[in-house]
Amino acid sequence: MDTLSSMSAARIAAGVASGEFSATQVAEASLAAIEASEGEVRAFLQVSADLALASAKRTDERRAAGEQLGPLAGVPVAFKDNMHLVGTRTTCASRMLENYESVFTATCVQRMLDAGATPMGKTNMDEFAFGSSTESSAFHRTNNPWDTGRVPGGSSGGSAAAVAAGEVTISLGSDTGGSIRQPACFCGVVGMKPTYGAVSRYGVVAFGSSLDQVGPFGRCVQDVALAMNALVAGGRDSLDSTSQDVRPDFLEGLDDSVEGMRVGVIPALMEHEGLTAEVREGLQAARTALEARGVQIVEVELPNMASAIAAYYVIGPSEAFSNLARFDGVRFGYQEPNCATLAEQTALSRAHGFGSEAKRRQMLGAYLLAAGVYDKYYYPAQQVRTLITQDYRNAFERCDAIMLPAAPTCAWRFGEVSDPTQMYASDLFTISNNIAGNGGVSVPVGLGSQTGMPVAAQLQGPAFQDKKLLRVARALELGIEEAKLHRPGTVAPAFAKKGGDLA
Amino acid sequence: MALTRDDVRGIADYARIALTEEELDEMCAYMNEAIDLLQPIREYDLTDVEPTFHPIGDLSNVMSGDELNAHGRSLDLDVALSNAAASQGRSFRVPSILGDEGGDR
Amino acid sequence: MRKLNEVLRDWEAVIGLEVHTELTTLETKMFCDCRLSHDDEPNTNVCPVCLGMPGALPVPNRKAIESIVMAGLATNCQIQPRSYFYRKHYFYPDMSKNYQTTQGPVAFCMYGHLDLEVTGQGARERPDGTVDKDKDGSYVAPIRILRIHMEEDAAKMVHLGGGEGRIGGASESLIDYNRCGTPLIELVTEPDLRTPEEARLFMEKLRQTFLTLGISDCSLENGSMRCDGNVSIRRRGTKEFGTKTEMKNINSFKSLHDALEYEICRQAEVLEEGGIVYQETRHWEPSKRRTVVMRVKETADDYRMYPDPDLAPFDLSNEFVERCRARVPELPDAKRDRYVKTYGLKRTDAAQIAGDPAVSRFFEEAAEAAPKAVATVANVMVNLVPATKALLAWQVASLSSLLAQDAITFAQAREVLEVVDGTELDPQKVVDERGMRQSTDTDALSATVDEVLGRCVDQVRQYREGNKKVVGFLVGQCMKASRGTGNPKLFNQLLRERLEA
Repeated sequence: MDTLSSMSAARIAAGVASGEFSATQVAEASLAAIEASEGEVRAFLQVSADLALASAKRTDERRAAGEQLGPLAGVPVAFKDNMHLVGTRTTCASRMLENYESVFTATCVQRMLDAGATPMGKTNMDEFAFGSSTESSAFHRTNNPWDTGRVPGGSSGGSAAAVAAGEVTISLGSDTGGSIRQPACFCGVVGMKPTYGAVSRYGVVAFGSSLDQVGPFGRCVQDVALAMNALVAGGRDSLDSTSQDVRPDFLEGLDDSVEGMRVGVIPALMEHEGLTAEVREGLQAARTALEARGVQIVEVELPNMASAIAAYYVIGPSEAFSNLARFDGVRFGYQEPNCATLAEQTALSRAHGFGSEAKRRQMLGAYLLAAGVYDKYYYPAQQVRTLITQDYRNAFERCDAIMLPAAPTCAWRFGEVSDPTQMYASDLFTISNNIAGNGGVSVPVGLGSQTGMPVAAQLQGPAFQDKKLLRVARALELGIEEAKLHRPGTVAPAFAKKGGDLA
Repeated sequence: MALTRDDVRGIADYARIALTEEELDEMCAYMNEAIDLLQPIREYDLTDVEPTFHPIGDLSNVMSGDELNAHGRSLDLDVALSNAAASQGRSFRVPSILGDEGGDR
Repeated sequence: MRKLNEVLRDWEAVIGLEVHTELTTLETKMFCDCRLSHDDEPNTNVCPVCLGMPGALPVPNRKAIESIVMAGLATNCQIQPRSYFYRKHYFYPDMSKNYQTTQGPVAFCMYGHLDLEVTGQGARERPDGTVDKDKDGSYVAPIRILRIHMEEDAAKMVHLGGGEGRIGGASESLIDYNRCGTPLIELVTEPDLRTPEEARLFMEKLRQTFLTLGISDCSLENGSMRCDGNVSIRRRGTKEFGTKTEMKNINSFKSLHDALEYEICRQAEVLEEGGIVYQETRHWEPSKRRTVVMRVKETADDYRMYPDPDLAPFDLSNEFVERCRARVPELPDAKRDRYVKTYGLKRTDAAQIAGDPAVSRFFEEAAEAAPKAVATVANVMVNLVPATKALLAWQVASLSSLLAQDAITFAQAREVLEVVDGTELDPQKVVDERGMRQSTDTDALSATVDEVLGRCVDQVRQYREGNKKVVGFLVGQCMKASRGTGNPKLFNQLLRERLEA
């Protein structure tokens, strides 16, 4: 008997298409896995069993009617709870939106559904995506499936954990400064932030509009490629002014040889004081794995990367303040009762609806955009952004992708990192390509020698060359598999056999 | 120059976030610590460097046709009002704008 | 308070206008595809974008951008190819996102101008010696335009419990987001206006221009065109600007004029009595003919403006601008000059007709149908048509031909128009059926003239003794004798010929 968690998305879609099992059986298996694992993992804020079963039923009916099924037919998928899906609440893990019912469906969600995916529910996150551990969720924490005493990373921690625990096969997250790649790293799954503009942001609650990008989690590169195909299938989204028309077939040539390709490494970065030995070892293993597949490693520089955190913590909070100004308790969201005036209602609704980190970021943004301050921080931060983008352009003249850690450490224990600015520093390796806009993907490379937790290598590619980036990621995955450090498709051991039996 | 408690209080008033005295202290400490983190931005000579407000390359002039369409996104009234805590008839409702101090003008 | 013309002898008024115009002729809103409508039930045309719901994103309306470029070209602005939309933050629920999407330092249209022809009574507001005036007292005032930028309108709020829908004392307010997101262009003039009349004329000219472009219905009454006036005064001969006040709630040309007039005189009185003019926003109360303080601006508002990351930059191509230019129709000034040159119309009549695109279209249609009576058509358009409701161009052409042939009098023309207004009736037929057509048959009229002269011996004698006015009485007798069918002008001519013989 196979369990759902042992299958890839392609395998599930093929099984549904051939009639080996029905989409309804897959949905039920996913619900069973969720039932069995959620008590320990708590990846979900809302499980949409009714929606899932109705969707699976439609897939089965379409098959019965002889219709062509989509490439994700029957594949159980979860969505980060900042993505709208009609029939579910979209809470952003905030008291502010505790009762917010989605009034439309996000383009990225719709495209997954259009490809035949079955929507299993909405996943936990840091409140409004502010954080790197999912601890700032207003509702509950999510536990790392590899060690439930540790954080799953964030902000898309629920999405990463749900895939890692085998509750769903694919999930979507959003990445503003590393919020897909870092939790993917912590949970031992593949997580991709595509190039800014490749995937529509319409219907995803904004944090930093010029930084946010939606992307998939999967247990192998192929599943991520399959999800990417679905996300770009409709071409540019006319509802998102910043979306662009790029729709390669990410599966085509995915397994092609990468012999002769060049991957850049940044020696100075590997000397960073916060980088732990086990992460350094993991990156060395990744380098060896790529070399074994014929990749040439070259040294490159990103001279302005050290300023990326500063630029990010100017741009991100400024955009966040602006984007979150709409939460005033009037049209939607938490409204403080019994207020005599509008001003009082607004200030108290925002004070009591938002958690601490959401308030901190907005306060910082409101300061940074103030007259006089804007010229000292915001404008120069956008100039530094130009320099960082130029750094990448220069580096990619010498290589096809750059490899660096996804995070300086493995998943930490709950409460271990509590100071906000200390938490900010952990985004060091992921932030710069949100600044520049190019794509990045986090690939598991085995378990750390100190913590026993997953370690990942991050690959970054030139803008709109996400297809080539995934090819390199696939080569790395194969090399790591050959070195027996990590097997693609792996579910966190404690959850590998939990529920999800498919007859 | 460090932000003072009064500065932070002023920003909170502007951002419409009511803070207790204790929260104000914490916020003040946080803001100054965060601003320290941002200093590398101020150490650059950025003469002649254009800002990148949009990481979208040369993409420009994105517009839509001025067209009503059957799949328009207009919401039914009940849906439009469904997430609002206070409404009256067909409208959203807010408490007194000026309160008692407003005077009659 | 002293009168305006006295005040303006001692003080120079410095006036700038900010004019907001909704692009009412578009189908959809600025950043979403909700229908533009003025009269739907509250919250009928709302969607996630214009309600500012989380996750919604804006996409600019191409026609709106074309419209503002046309507005810029028609007001001699330089079109700026590169510009951004900005977010302007303020917490007030009439703006659903708590920021308004507007433009930053660079607007689509910058540095334009309109030249005002100030004539007649209105020209007298400007004291002699402060401007070059023609012999008849008229003058031309060039008014510079700083910029025209694109933005979105706010929602409408109704305040309950405060009396007359006012905000003060209201216990609660209701919000209707139908108007939220309506495409709005804001034009800002340089402070080049010097009299309330110039301000009124500028606003009128702007309205005529935008109406001709077809980008808005420009209704001051319904608020689709709104004007704020900034005014300060300074002693004649000094250069330094005084403290300005801002005038709101101006919903007619007359209000604009009268509010500025009041405010100039009020400021003069304050300063002459040694007082201080405060920088403040004032509200015009038309019924009481005065302005009252709305709020005092102590510090400049900080709107935390920054480029909107959700909207791609603009880099308008030459082709885009030229396509817009090709769509700019003949503007009122050019049309006026053409009417004067081609048809020989009086300049003021030509300007009046050319100022309103509907009127000028009607005029040109009628003129084409009555090519020999174009001047008469213009005369009818200016003097008779404004009082009518639903005339057709061919009816005006037909009537004007009758007038030009002296077949009816002007008084009769008015009567005929009343009959045909709102019908399909032909004025010629009405005239014939009612026996109104005046004879221009000289032989027939001569007989009547001879008959009248034969019996009015006294009047003939008075005329020959020098009382030429008596001819009026004689014309009247002729009209009576012909039962109104004779042409009075011809009677007059024939009578004089015989009396002078």
